[in-house]
Amino acid sequence: MSSIPPFLVFFAGALVVPFLRRFPTVRMAWLVLIPILGALNVWGIQEGYEVQYQLLGLTLTPVRADSLGLLFGYLFHLGAFIAIIYSLHLGKRENATVQHTAALVYAGSALGAVFAGDFITLFIFWELLAISSVFLIWARGTGVAVRSGMRYLLVHVVSGVTLLAGAMVHWSDTGSLAFGPMGLGTLAGWLVFIAVGIKAAFPLLHSWLIDAYPESTPTGTVFLSAFTTKVAVYALARGYADVDLLIYIGAVMACFPIFYAVIENDLRRTLGYSMINQIGFMVCGIGVGTELALQGAVAHAFNDVLFKGLLFMSMGAVMHMTGKTKASELGGLYKTMPWTATLCIVGALSISAVPFFNAFVSKSMIMTALLDEHMYWIWPVMLFASAGVVEHAGIKIPYFAFFAHDSGIRTREPPVNMLVAMGIGALLCLAIGIWPGLLYGLLPGEVNYDAYDYTHMITQMQLLCFAIAAVAAFHLWKIYPAEIPSVNLDADWIYRRAAVRVTRFVGRTVGVADAAVRGVVLGGVGRAMRGAFRSHGPRGVLARSWPAGSMVLWVTILLTAFLFFEFLA
Amino acid sequence: MSEHKPNSVPSPWAGWILVAFFGLCAIVLGMDFFRGRVVHHPIEEWKAIYPVFGFVGIALLILIAKGLRRLVMRSEDYYEDE
Repeated sequence: MSSIPPFLVFFAGALVVPFLRRFPTVRMAWLVLIPILGALNVWGIQEGYEVQYQLLGLTLTPVRADSLGLLFGYLFHLGAFIAIIYSLHLGKRENATVQHTAALVYAGSALGAVFAGDFITLFIFWELLAISSVFLIWARGTGVAVRSGMRYLLVHVVSGVTLLAGAMVHWSDTGSLAFGPMGLGTLAGWLVFIAVGIKAAFPLLHSWLIDAYPESTPTGTVFLSAFTTKVAVYALARGYADVDLLIYIGAVMACFPIFYAVIENDLRRTLGYSMINQIGFMVCGIGVGTELALQGAVAHAFNDVLFKGLLFMSMGAVMHMTGKTKASELGGLYKTMPWTATLCIVGALSISAVPFFNAFVSKSMIMTALLDEHMYWIWPVMLFASAGVVEHAGIKIPYFAFFAHDSGIRTREPPVNMLVAMGIGALLCLAIGIWPGLLYGLLPGEVNYDAYDYTHMITQMQLLCFAIAAVAAFHLWKIYPAEIPSVNLDADWIYRRAAVRVTRFVGRTVGVADAAVRGVVLGGVGRAMRGAFRSHGPRGVLARSWPAGSMVLWVTILLTAFLFFEFLA
Repeated sequence: MSEHKPNSVPSPWAGWILVAFFGLCAIVLGMDFFRGRVVHHPIEEWKAIYPVFGFVGIALLILIAKGLRRLVMRSEDYYEDE
């Protein structure tokens, strides 16, 4: 079976969507068909398949299918399929055409990036990811979303430009544009690392995610959570496996967001912090670099799309039905949204890595790899981060949205397509948790790992149960932080406040100095001009016209004086 | 910034759920005293090390987060004038 480049299916699909504006039923069928056709196409692609051509003396590889790219290819089709079903109800009021078109281009760009064999192709899809996805934020239509989208776009364009700079330096150094293992031994390696780090939400480069994802539309966030950061994880696995620095970056990523997640009031923003926490596990696994750790990192990326997507979908459903996502404004929704609450709890159990849910079978691979490599300082840090997940994503999200106090909101279940999409996500979370072989069989390497041995099971249950017990105890003792309508300062404060203040201060200081210098210089120039005017002006002594008789008189006087002094001498 | 304190637990099932949950905690804790497990590091040989780690870890997480809140929390309209 001959295949076409995977991104083309989605791009072609996106081209048709605007023409189906008046035919919503046809549009629904078309939207569902695209990821199915795409998946069939990718299924037919054999490992080793390449599309290559020469351009201006450069060898470009727009499509390179290897086991790593194919796994992410399958994942992105699955993620797109679920997210498309979730967004089928969109109508004119929600900018359906813009959202559907942007989402398809976005998914296609993610596919283009993971199948890109060279830096130029990667750069093009890297930028397309940013440009297409920002429309999912702007589609919300609020001023806050527009400004947040602009910041998001700016950060990702910087990432793209850094990637291009790294690619150029790499080409200059090696004469090749092929994207493969990079390492941190060269300037090109560092530039690409920073570019990928921005998209992967490395610490201090992460705030675009926290800033923008919660401002997107309910359906847009589901797409956003599936692609951008996973493309970055793919790029790290491709280019930076076994780079020690990633172990420490991953550990920081896994830990710092859980503190913010405890005190964050916006539940979708809490999920944003949770996303960074989960990427931290993947980054750490890639840094460890052993076969088990790498497979664990990739498997966790796969699972993350499912369980994080499910959680974002459940919060999106709450937002769609109530217009609210803040913990302080929600509560008691289990009475009117029991299915959504149940599916959210499945997502919460999955992300918490409870045995028989999918994160358990992938996160434990990374944790075991850390122990196998005797990384006894990092291991407890990651164990702490694992426990922290239970607090914010396992308990806080479902508890404050669906239980806690009764907010008095009486609504109903979301549209059926939303429930179906959440149901598919939940079933897959369970299926992979119960039969991990389903996922292990897709992984790019050999996996000789049994997640369900007694030690893994009992230690994880002990950790989770007592972490939950601590949360329950803090609730009962009324020590647990109350939900307060507020914002928490994060790294985005640097460019949203500090940079603005510094710019204003510099502007004011330069203005004052400029005025002072101008005053002195202009005063001097004025004085000089007035002096010149006095001497050279129409009445100035040097501008006066003298009669010839006066000249003769003065010459005579001077000569007489000269003769007089000569006579005296 | 008015506080919105959550009630503890809402439904009449909540009490039973808590009892069942603490029963489960007791069982998984008790397993450490009845059956050995694979250890990679000597500290793992300590009985109840994972339960203690889970409980103390979350307790520290919540307490530190409360401290962090004093440092970073601002009113909801903090960025509205941008």
